Amino acid sequence: MIHFDRVSKRYEGGKQALAELSFEIPQGQMVFLTGHSGAGKSTLLRLLLMLETATRGQVVLNGRNLSQTPARLAPNVRQQTGMIFQDHKLLPDKTVFDNVALPLMIAGLRYQDIAKKVRAALKKVGLEDRERSWPLALSGGEQQRVGVARAIVGMPPVLLADEPTGNLDPTLSWELFRLFRELNARGMTILVASHDLDLVRRMGQRVLVLSQGRLVDDLTPGAAQ
Amino acid sequence: MKATSSLLRRVRQRIRGTLRRHSYSFFSSLGTLMSHRAGTLMTLLVIGIAMLLPQGLHLALVNLERVDLQEEQWGAMSVFMAPAANAQSVNELMDELRALETVERVAALSPAESMQEFLQQSGFSESLMPLDDNPLPWVITVVPVGGDGLEARAQALSEALLGRSLVDAVELDRQWLQRLGRFIELGEALVTTLVLLFALAVMVVVANTIRLDVAARSEEIEVMSLVGARPGFIRQPFLYSGFWYGLLGGVVAMILVNLGLEYLDRPLARLLESYGQQGRLQGFSLRTTLTLLLAGGMLGLLGAWFAVQQYLRVMAESGTLGRR
Repeated sequence: MIHFDRVSKRYEGGKQALAELSFEIPQGQMVFLTGHSGAGKSTLLRLLLMLETATRGQVVLNGRNLSQTPARLAPNVRQQTGMIFQDHKLLPDKTVFDNVALPLMIAGLRYQDIAKKVRAALKKVGLEDRERSWPLALSGGEQQRVGVARAIVGMPPVLLADEPTGNLDPTLSWELFRLFRELNARGMTILVASHDLDLVRRMGQRVLVLSQGRLVDDLTPGAAQ
Repeated sequence: MKATSSLLRRVRQRIRGTLRRHSYSFFSSLGTLMSHRAGTLMTLLVIGIAMLLPQGLHLALVNLERVDLQEEQWGAMSVFMAPAANAQSVNELMDELRALETVERVAALSPAESMQEFLQQSGFSESLMPLDDNPLPWVITVVPVGGDGLEARAQALSEALLGRSLVDAVELDRQWLQRLGRFIELGEALVTTLVLLFALAVMVVVANTIRLDVAARSEEIEVMSLVGARPGFIRQPFLYSGFWYGLLGGVVAMILVNLGLEYLDRPLARLLESYGQQGRLQGFSLRTTLTLLLAGGMLGLLGAWFAVQQYLRVMAESGTLGRR
């Protein structure tokens, strides 16, 4: 589902964000991506959203080689990819409902279908009674869950998350990861960047460890640690 | 067969999706305008005033043109005959004039008819005019053929007539109409120039407003782009906003123009009344109204398009909207 083949990314300033990175995530797998800040986790996710282009190597997502996809097709890639951002990226002047509905509006769905799916997504993150609220009236954790609801509302085949537990307390973090596991059980491929090593370890899933843009470890559950 | 029907279904779905996105943009743009009421109102006032001047001038011309401006009458002249002239000599002169290629039409007014007309117009009854003798002369109205050089031809004709022994005076009485006509022509050229200038002004005002709007919502644009919105969909609400600005600005201008008409109507009626005439100022016809409003909307749309296009390009280049 996600395939990196000797991917390098060097920013214009000369900073090497990723170096000769290769890995493969099969469909339906849940993988955690860890490493210190600056290790290249965000860059890796940005490549998958076509927010950046690899300087070298091939990035393949859902059968599409992003390195050879023209920029005008980036919306297609993003529509098929759910993304959870560390800073939520919610629209402050739209209600929770409208925020979650955004990807479906973009897809041009019928309003009735949109409403049904938005309510289902909000229910999944435990915010079914907040659809009329404004994002700024919510706590940080609730805002993060709105972001999660928006990412999963269209049931994309791939879900990416960048430090989704950055602003959550341990209980909420654990609940969010449980939600990821539930989505994964339904076949969603999930890649979560997190530096919460303790939590990641408890999930018992495959873990990719980045350091200075290189893959330094690929831990598979059950294998000797 | 199956492939065709599934293709048809896909096309239909795509069209429906586009329509739904448009309706979303339509309402969200209205919502944005409504949520910044004071700012929106000020912008609309500026646009309305920019549209007011050409609209007002246009109306003034429309009303002036209602003055009877038959061009072929511009060179018309009244030929006043000497007291010695009688019906026979007048007829002879008329026949002579009719034979001229440059003359369109001639008509005569006998002293008796002139008196009748004078009495009617002046309001004096005949009994109050104890004149045994009618002092009024025969009058021949000569209308030259219209077209290029009318002025010179009319002048030449009037001079030739003046040379006749039985002709006392010749008056080119429609000359002022011709001058008015020229003024209106000038006015029309002025309106055209003003329309172009103010159309530009409307576009610039809308473009600037939309530019600020886009800048204020750059965060929203970024988020929409992140969740997969195409540039077209991101552009839509702003284009609708531009359209609304232009259209509603036109409405403001119309309201102001109509208030002005209302204000001018009575003094004008009184002025006309003092000339023994009646008249009312003519406002915009329904068709003109719709055309003007739509034109305003289109100008707004165009202004918005320029602004959004430029801003999106800047955002794309800075990497906010996608790959760098």
